[in-house]
Amino acid sequence: MVLPGGASWSAAVTRPVADLRDDAFARLFDEFSAPIYNYVLRMVADADRAADITQDTFIKAYRKLDTVTDAAATRSWLYRIATNTAIDDMRRRRMTTTMPDDAPAFANRADPRPGPEAEVLSRTLDERVQRALMTLRPNHRQCLLLSDLEDMSAHQIGEVMELSYAAVRTLLCRARGEMRRALAAEGFAR
Amino acid sequence: MSMDRGRHEAYEELISASLHGDLSDQERHSLDAHLDGCERCRETLAVFSDQRRIVAGLRHLAPPRDLEARVRTGVQVTSAAQPWWRRPPAVFAGIGGGLAVVAGALLALAILNGPTEDSPLGQPTMTPAATAPAPSATVPAPTLAPIGTPAASPAPTASLAPAPTATPVERSPEPDAYLAVTGPLDNQLLTVQPGPTGEGVTEADAPSGPPIAAEISPDGQWVAYLSEKGLSGFNEVRALRVAETPEATDGTEPVRSHVAVGETLILGEGVAGSPFVEHLFWSPDSRYLAFTLIDIEGGGTDVWIFQPADGSVSQLTDVGNAYAGSWAVGGAGSSLLWVSTAGETPQSHLLMFHDDAGEIRPGDPADSPFASASNVFQPLLSPNGTLVIYWTGRMDRSGDEWVFTEGGAPWLAMNVNDGGAGYEFESSREVFTDVTVGQSAFTSAAISWGLDSDAFAVWDAEWTGIPQAPSGEYPDPRRVYLGRATDARHVTRTHALDAGDVPTDATVVDVKVAGTGRHLAITVRYPVPGDLSTPEADLLLVTRNTGTVADEVSVLSLAGPGWYGPALYARDPPSD
Repeated sequence: MVLPGGASWSAAVTRPVADLRDDAFARLFDEFSAPIYNYVLRMVADADRAADITQDTFIKAYRKLDTVTDAAATRSWLYRIATNTAIDDMRRRRMTTTMPDDAPAFANRADPRPGPEAEVLSRTLDERVQRALMTLRPNHRQCLLLSDLEDMSAHQIGEVMELSYAAVRTLLCRARGEMRRALAAEGFAR
Repeated sequence: MSMDRGRHEAYEELISASLHGDLSDQERHSLDAHLDGCERCRETLAVFSDQRRIVAGLRHLAPPRDLEARVRTGVQVTSAAQPWWRRPPAVFAGIGGGLAVVAGALLALAILNGPTEDSPLGQPTMTPAATAPAPSATVPAPTLAPIGTPAASPAPTASLAPAPTATPVERSPEPDAYLAVTGPLDNQLLTVQPGPTGEGVTEADAPSGPPIAAEISPDGQWVAYLSEKGLSGFNEVRALRVAETPEATDGTEPVRSHVAVGETLILGEGVAGSPFVEHLFWSPDSRYLAFTLIDIEGGGTDVWIFQPADGSVSQLTDVGNAYAGSWAVGGAGSSLLWVSTAGETPQSHLLMFHDDAGEIRPGDPADSPFASASNVFQPLLSPNGTLVIYWTGRMDRSGDEWVFTEGGAPWLAMNVNDGGAGYEFESSREVFTDVTVGQSAFTSAAISWGLDSDAFAVWDAEWTGIPQAPSGEYPDPRRVYLGRATDARHVTRTHALDAGDVPTDATVVDVKVAGTGRHLAITVRYPVPGDLSTPEADLLLVTRNTGTVADEVSVLSLAGPGWYGPALYARDPPSD
């Protein structure tokens, strides 16, 4: 548009960048709070615990914000914090229930009694898949969720779990085999 | 046998890796060759594929609403040791870059996968009423029931069909016109500068203060504006005729007026007030202008009507707590206007105007409304009439006017003809989706729809609750927020325009959203020394960018200081 009277639009406003920086953590929370919550929820199958772990994840992320040097790895970094926080939580709970360290994997099976998660994961299909997930070893469950729920590549999963590319592929294959049996036990036929 | 199992296991790993493309060319060829002759591994591939689909299809659940508040509290506790504002800037820039990369990746995924069930359930869309969160018990979803039988019910109009998606329209990001006040304080000229057509229309009798709100009539004949009246604390409403009567089109008779082009009518004056007062509403057919005045003698707020055809100004209400809202498209020969009454529970009434009706006499809008809605205040319809932003909450008097004092918040809903004579606001959802509206919430805010009927701007948001961001002020009355109806988040703190868009010493006076949906024409006022200085304002054209890409800001450059703005975007004429 040509404006009369010699008017024109010109870039004449100086923009400070400080305010852009201030939004960084807020954006981090905005982008990732829901995905992280869902990932953790599928890890622990308990809505209250998932909320606590997500909360702790973001508080830790805030504290460690200045340790992030590779901008492209922000997502993996955040999932790594969430994964480690969830593992810590599971370990604490296992200790408080005096479960031996060498307990078989199914010791982590979800509590069959109705609990808060029963409300949250109320749909039958969801319940069956979640039950199957909870029979997996924690590292298998993490690996599978990062791959199939979060759609991460083997490289990205490796960044989150601090494993080599080859180790992730092997772990993921084992997790799929374990999940195959678990789903079959839940009546998923093939 | 064991060797055979080992061979299959090796291929199972390749099958697993193939599900997200983690295979080299050599591995791919090897696997393909094996699958051709191995039924067992083909079965494994099918099982793993199913499994991936099942896990990916797990429901996404919304995090608890208080999660953000909990994180904020935790952050505030930890930040005592290392304040947020002392962190190295480079780190934040890095994080931001990462977010841009991730956001780009997520967007690419969303585009590739299309709308799937993976969408977080906590982000309901506008369409399915069942998934949209119902307003809380103290903020009931409004239902508009017709009251009485109107003499001539308007037929349900096609333009009111719910269509919350934006209509792609090629529009210029730049305003069609703008107001300019120039010259020395004792001899100021107000000019409405049109866009490409050249000469502006100048008003010799300029107002005694700068224009702070303005709207052009849909037929382009009039510009109504609200201007400050010197330093009196009063505002004045004026209408300046800027164009000749257009040709009749489609059998629609244009509004004819005896007022000459360039002539100004003073429509009234009132006490300056909140953004709820600083609205001017043209009817879609340009027959009426509705506005609110605060009585300078303490009589409260009432709605007035200007009719360009005869240049008349009429008082519509005399209740002392009435505010003008949007016009709705009426049937042939009639117009519909929302008028709200403030109070503990605000009410809104849809009033019908017949073109052949006699003189308008002041009255109570609740006496004979076409429809009414409880706990709804100042409905602002999108230009195409399919969406509405309205306020809910408890209101109390504040000086000469009314503001929200408890649970006040704007809501966005679909404006749906219920198939009968009434309308319903469906799938209501808070405009600010990341704030917790408690007893203390919004007092008021200014809101403006974009011409695409999707984008909208919120500014001058007065928030009395606890800050809703880990750092800084949010909602921030100094920031402009650009939201979208089609974005389930509507407005969050990340929807704020960059803080640097508005110069630090300036305040936002008016915001218009272009039909592009991502350009805004913002009038910003600068402080001037002393009472006798001429007021100064710039008109900024902001191109909104997201992520870490900074917004682009241009300023209207004219010779010499002056007051430039508000901007004007012409609406499309109503369609049948």
